Amino acid sequence: MRFAVVLDGTVGGAGEQARALAGLLHKGMTVGAGAPGGPPDHPSSGVEGETLIFYDDERERDHLVALSPTVAVRLVRAPARRPDLVAATLAATTGEDGPDLFLVAGGPAGTEVATRLARRTGGSVLTGALDVALEPGRLLGRRQVYSNHMIGRFALTARPWCVAVDPSWAEAQAPACEEHRVLSEGDVTAGAGKPQFADLELTDPPSAGDLAEARVVVVAGAGAGSRDGVARIATAAARMGAAFGVTRPVAMNAWAPMERLIGVSGTRVAPALAIVAGASGAPAFLWGIERAGVIVAVNSDEHAPILDEADAVAVGDAVGVVEALADLVASPPDRD
Amino acid sequence: MRILVCFKVTPDYEALRDADWVAGPGDAVRSRYVRRVLNCFDESALELALRLREALTQGDVVAGLGALSVGGRETEPFFATLHALGYERAARIEPGAALDYAPAATAALLAGYARRVDRSDLLLLGSRCGPGDSGTVPFLVAEELGWPCLTQVTDVEPAGDEGLRVTCAADDGRLGLTVRPPCVLAIGNALVSHLRVPTLTARLARRELRADVLAPGDVGVDLAITSGREPATLEGLERIDRSRAGVVVEGDTPVEMARALFEAHVEEAIARP
Repeated sequence: MRFAVVLDGTVGGAGEQARALAGLLHKGMTVGAGAPGGPPDHPSSGVEGETLIFYDDERERDHLVALSPTVAVRLVRAPARRPDLVAATLAATTGEDGPDLFLVAGGPAGTEVATRLARRTGGSVLTGALDVALEPGRLLGRRQVYSNHMIGRFALTARPWCVAVDPSWAEAQAPACEEHRVLSEGDVTAGAGKPQFADLELTDPPSAGDLAEARVVVVAGAGAGSRDGVARIATAAARMGAAFGVTRPVAMNAWAPMERLIGVSGTRVAPALAIVAGASGAPAFLWGIERAGVIVAVNSDEHAPILDEADAVAVGDAVGVVEALADLVASPPDRD
Repeated sequence: MRILVCFKVTPDYEALRDADWVAGPGDAVRSRYVRRVLNCFDESALELALRLREALTQGDVVAGLGALSVGGRETEPFFATLHALGYERAARIEPGAALDYAPAATAALLAGYARRVDRSDLLLLGSRCGPGDSGTVPFLVAEELGWPCLTQVTDVEPAGDEGLRVTCAADDGRLGLTVRPPCVLAIGNALVSHLRVPTLTARLARRELRADVLAPGDVGVDLAITSGREPATLEGLERIDRSRAGVVVEGDTPVEMARALFEAHVEEAIARP
């Protein structure tokens, strides 16, 4: 069984891609009856892998090689931001002696590469892969479905199996590969054809502030009731020295900027403490806070799902309780 | 410019009871009884298309709007709303089978309609949709049509000479670029997230309009063939256990409840280095 890891250095975020790919390779992939954990390309596993690196900037070349999660590396120079061309290049490597499995990082570009590659080769695709198990004749993998309410188990049969790895694998802290050997170098820039896009301009993403790194996060949900209620919770968060986030309904109502969104399509946080005010507890949101050490929830609805998914809950006015909490943080009560 | 927006109507998953989330082989989630809603990303696409048409028309570009959905009669009320909002073309493809985990079949139907029936120049749709949530349909449609695809699109506006200025969220930042249709735009966390509400006058004026109802064969698709091209097969569902202690603190006022929470968890977390 041969696998190919795809590191697309033409779309940015290569370090994150490499960490996610290494995470799944070392901790989320099983071969036969084995358990995840061993080096996947160790000869004893019968699995051999190499990394295909796409790059558009010569200055990034060595850095990208150093990121490779496998020893064996192939380099391909390509135009920037052309996942369709990456898929076409990979498709040309398939066949009798080609890889059985392609692993790409599951960001927007990686999902496009995996999908287009499977379509062009008659293979199968799994996006947002939480894990994969290689069995004789098929690959089993899991990913979230139903807007994160459930996990689906999927079987991929037609080869190549094209798997876009869930980005959360970047946090797995898999061991880095220290040694690399470049097997080949290629260039597909000449075959790119007419540019599909013009006047390309990359700007920094709107800042989510310190949400991702925050030790304490306060989240406002629709139960805050209004733009004013959300603003009051944001002020209380600032008084507590906490980062401020919101749920999707709050962002969709434009009560707070979209970049403060926490959840599947926003930021995933891992604070020591998350204070969730006025959020019902939709699974797509819970995914964003489930790594918090402690979750404290305030909701006026005693049947809100969040109450079962928090460590401690207060059934009451979300804005009032959070403001009172901020007062206590600013002036802790005298215990004597 | 002929703009086509593809949308899906789904059960409101937040309204399901805990007991309805059934684990096991296949998909046994019970959702027939809950209300239907627009997939949130498709809703953004529908509103973005209205705004784009208005902007194009102001620039003297002739732009028509069409809406397409693959599904049953549950989509009809949504078509009535779209007619009232000014969508001139509307079609519903009845697949005759559930396509929730069949992105290849869904993409073939959408692309078949865009190419054979609508002759669209620009296709907008949500970047992903439940229950399958694979996020593959926009790319599969682009593959079927041979068009470029931009994903995680957050805004689109005219850029002169029938070009479009598109903003999208990329892996490494916010990307602005100019594209000339035909192309597929997969909408992500758009700044515009709610579909406007039509006036009663508009609803009454267009109440007789109905979506065309088509079969897969009408758009050149044989589902028996596309079923063999599905990229993955659902084997079963598992529940996600996110439950925690859920200890309810005592207190009659916000201040009393805050004090209980503070002493139980908040003080220690705030004080910890």
